[in-house]
Amino acid sequence: MDGSPAIAGVLELAPGRYPDLGALEMQELVLARALASWGLRPSEVDGLLVSPAGMASGASVDVFAHDALVDAFRMKPRFAETVNAGGATYGIMAARAAIAIATRQADVVVCLGAGRFPPVNAGGGDAMARIVSHVDFEVPYGAFIPALYALVAARHMHERGTTREALASVAVTSRAWALEHPDALMRKKGPLRVEDVLASRPIAEPFRLLDCSVPCEGGGAFVVARGDVARRLSPAPAYVLGFGEHHGGRVSQAHDLATMDAGVSAARAFEMARLRASDVRVAELYDAFTITPILLAEELGLAARGAGGALFTEGRAAPGGDLPINTYGGLLSFGHTGDASGLSMIVEGARQVMGAAGSRQVADASVALVHVYGGIMADHCTLLLGSST
Amino acid sequence: MKPVPAPTAVTKPYWDAAREGRLLLQRCTSCGAVTHYPRPLCPSCWSSALEWVDASGRGRVHSATVVHHPPSPAFPVPYVLAIVELEEGPRMMANVLGGAPVGIGAAVRLTFERRGDFALPQFELVD
Repeated sequence: MDGSPAIAGVLELAPGRYPDLGALEMQELVLARALASWGLRPSEVDGLLVSPAGMASGASVDVFAHDALVDAFRMKPRFAETVNAGGATYGIMAARAAIAIATRQADVVVCLGAGRFPPVNAGGGDAMARIVSHVDFEVPYGAFIPALYALVAARHMHERGTTREALASVAVTSRAWALEHPDALMRKKGPLRVEDVLASRPIAEPFRLLDCSVPCEGGGAFVVARGDVARRLSPAPAYVLGFGEHHGGRVSQAHDLATMDAGVSAARAFEMARLRASDVRVAELYDAFTITPILLAEELGLAARGAGGALFTEGRAAPGGDLPINTYGGLLSFGHTGDASGLSMIVEGARQVMGAAGSRQVADASVALVHVYGGIMADHCTLLLGSST
Repeated sequence: MKPVPAPTAVTKPYWDAAREGRLLLQRCTSCGAVTHYPRPLCPSCWSSALEWVDASGRGRVHSATVVHHPPSPAFPVPYVLAIVELEEGPRMMANVLGGAPVGIGAAVRLTFERRGDFALPQFELVD
């Protein structure tokens, strides 16, 4: 790509609860910490992309979050906006940042978000369902996030033969990776076995509690810079090699529940990067529920259709496997930070490529695939990051 | 109480008909596409020349889940959330009443659930 845009720095808050901070204040905290850790002054940031503040909480939403941050840091960006495509937001931000750099609109673009995700039983689940479902033709039937994904899972099991044990193996694999991440929420719970998942309480069949990601709060940021600037900020930046998007609609109207059209964005990203699925050394796949890494692996070409589950049941996606997936513990065991959830995969994908993933570092992580989606797998973005251009 | 719809100028005929025990679909008089849920434009050809037609009420379960943990206390569990493929083609979200697991492909027929001043199109298994 012109300008060789690369992720040159990442920062992520520890997932948890931040009861003393408002949504915008969390974003300010993220930006302050991020700039300090990267050694950047606010005046050096000439592009700013931020997610709406306060969305997943169902509380009032600030869709002018970018102006609030510009104000708070007295920045003078050449472009700035508040971007939303749910969990896909941050992949789309990386793509927008790369385009801005390639077209010389900016040299240093900061992408950030912070999210609150209230406990499900405190109204968090209902609020999220209302955001992504049709208020008159889905919500009155008890459309609920786990149930909507369960409709996808049931169809995938029906068409592809995906098993209940394969779903559980995704949770087990994610937990194994989370044990290697100091900030992962579920690290303290220790390892997980398939039988633990199957014995947890039912939520929406086929899902049990441990098939569901863990709601929490958090946030983070990454900086995409022109290649020469990126190399000043980091000895080994993660180059943006390719990206693609696809946008669909509501679950009841989904064209194909077993694919959710997830492959479209990946095909675009691979074509742009002139790479193939076999080049991918590590994958970070958005995992609100255990079905999604299986479905995504199949649609992105990392496994044949019907063979996605085997990546997990056979240990290939686990530590020591030949295709590590969700190496930070996933939303399933790291934590699902609501509005900021899609950041976690990009932060980890970049860390792997930059060689900065600590004890979870994958050997030869030359190409990372990150797939994020928003809504109930409605907005898709695939990102390919690499250690060289 | 469970949520109720808020009819608009576009959807009012749908909810009025539901109160009379009818499920309405939209048929595009330009391209012939049949659509659920109601909307101002045909999603296939963007024509606004849509007419209301009665659904037969027959359909099959395209996907389904038994929900054990509800979005709010208003929904007693377990209940079945399903996507039903109607005989006319469109798919719609609904509950398959009864709460027992239903298989993909199972034949279902239209029924209605009274909810406040509304009647919600619902489905039940064909014996």
